[in-house]
Amino acid sequence: MSVQTNSQIAGGVDAAREGAATTATSGESILLWRLASIVLFCLAWEIAGRIPINVAFPPFSEVVMAFGRIVADGTLPAAFLDTLQPLVIGVFLATAVGIVMGVGMGLREELEWAGVPVFVVMQAAPMAALIPLITFIYGIGLTAKVLSVIILALPVIALNGYKAVRNVSPSLRAMCRSFLGSRRQEIFKVILPDASPMIFAGLRLGISAGFVGVILAELLITPTGIGDLITYHRSIANYSEMYAAIATIILFAAITVGLLERIEIALFRPEKKEHA
Amino acid sequence: MSKTGLVRFGARLAAAAAVVLAVSGVAEAATKVRVAFGDIASTESLNLLIAFERAKERGVEVEGTFFKSEDLAAQAVVGGQADIGIGTPYALLQKVKAPIRLFYQISNLRFYPVVNTEFYKDWKDLDGQEFAVHSRGSGTEAIMNLMAQRNGIKFSNFSYVPGSEVRAGALLQGNVKATIVDSAGKRLIEEKGGGKFTFLDMAGVNATDEALYANTNFLEKNAEAVNILVEELLKTTREINKDPKVVVKLREQYKLLPDLPKDLESEVEPYFTDAVSADLYPNDGGGAEAVKADFEFYTLAGQLQGDAGSLKAEDFWVFEPLEKARKALGS
Repeated sequence: MSVQTNSQIAGGVDAAREGAATTATSGESILLWRLASIVLFCLAWEIAGRIPINVAFPPFSEVVMAFGRIVADGTLPAAFLDTLQPLVIGVFLATAVGIVMGVGMGLREELEWAGVPVFVVMQAAPMAALIPLITFIYGIGLTAKVLSVIILALPVIALNGYKAVRNVSPSLRAMCRSFLGSRRQEIFKVILPDASPMIFAGLRLGISAGFVGVILAELLITPTGIGDLITYHRSIANYSEMYAAIATIILFAAITVGLLERIEIALFRPEKKEHA
Repeated sequence: MSKTGLVRFGARLAAAAAVVLAVSGVAEAATKVRVAFGDIASTESLNLLIAFERAKERGVEVEGTFFKSEDLAAQAVVGGQADIGIGTPYALLQKVKAPIRLFYQISNLRFYPVVNTEFYKDWKDLDGQEFAVHSRGSGTEAIMNLMAQRNGIKFSNFSYVPGSEVRAGALLQGNVKATIVDSAGKRLIEEKGGGKFTFLDMAGVNATDEALYANTNFLEKNAEAVNILVEELLKTTREINKDPKVVVKLREQYKLLPDLPKDLESEVEPYFTDAVSADLYPNDGGGAEAVKADFEFYTLAGQLQGDAGSLKAEDFWVFEPLEKARKALGS
């Protein structure tokens, strides 16, 4: 049961990869397939842009050139610095609060009753609808943006922490008790180590939610960073630059989350190492 | 509710949805002009709404959709989900060669630079200081660049605060020391500012704030409807310019913006009185002169590329509907 839930929540991507890994014969051919898929995507983009499917949809090659231009004039690196600020602060706070809340809810029933419904609602609700409310209370500055990262990242981190603790193997806990381990030892020596892979997976999902939060905030609150690049270039019809900014932040998020996944596998899931 | 009851209820709901869909489908089939607004309907769009009602009386059904920004409205026109857009899509026309043309100038850009007198008195004091404008690449930023150039000063940087009413509020609360607001913001500052703020002189900045534009294809195929629309717009504008109070009467007559709160209702007349005295609505609906001024302004704003003198009006505008309307109404 515990294994099943584990993979349902955190391992969707892993499962897909595993599938691919079993059909492919070696690591090299996986890499080849992945590269082919990327090339195919770029090619489709280029063709769609050249038809064009919309006057405001530039071909891939022009977007690459626009990317070069906004890197060269320094606007893209500056925008990244601006965007990372609320993202890093928000993810840091969401991680600290989320893990403590999640583990707390997993360990104590009172906290579970009080907390879980709130986080489930938060996770299910379209949180973007709440962003205008944040601006009414916290204005349009950094606080509001940090908060929008937190409301997106916190529920998934907290719920994963909660489920991780709940899914700790009962036989391990029973073993700890039969060896006369104290409650403290049970938590720190058995529960937390056993729950940490899933907590970390929650962190990874939380960070990807944080990316959504920060870009939403930059588009809906005040345009700064990448959100500003997108709105500015849209307003002056520089669509290649706009797509370059969008593609870069997507790529950056994907790479960050991908790296975290690698770390996760290296640290907590030795059984999957050979497929990664 | 029992299980069968629930099923029956679901079936009825589906049937109702089907009817609604069918009816809306029929409505779509009737000829109508879909207008994409770049903002929500407010007091400031009453002049347009009145003209659209009058066009309706002459058989041109106008359906307005209100978008979050002018860019989205422009995309709707480019993508064919709307027939006529409101805004100044010069960049879109030039850079992506979108097959659209402007055909009616609704309003001039009218903004008022204002400073907190505790810190600044005139243009020279603003040298090396921060100034709050709407957004990067916006008209307000372009105006301030132009004014800095004319007064031989340089701002340290621009801060971006979207929304004139937000900037007016920020100025009143002391969050910004110098900014630029529209006429509603100006009135707010004059009423609540207690003489702490002064407006800086800004003569001779002329450019289009809002214009109507459409696909060239649409303009050709629906020339008659476009002519009626332009005629009614011109007629309404001239009426308002002659007597701004008429807006209040016409709003009641056509039952426009029925949900407007009482305190905003009393704002309608002063808004249009101010607007008319500031020459917001051009009596002629635009023309070659206005386009020339736009080229200069929007080149400076970064929306248009190249030398303003070498840009051709016919690449951006069509004048036929306007000329016809002027002939019909007498200029």
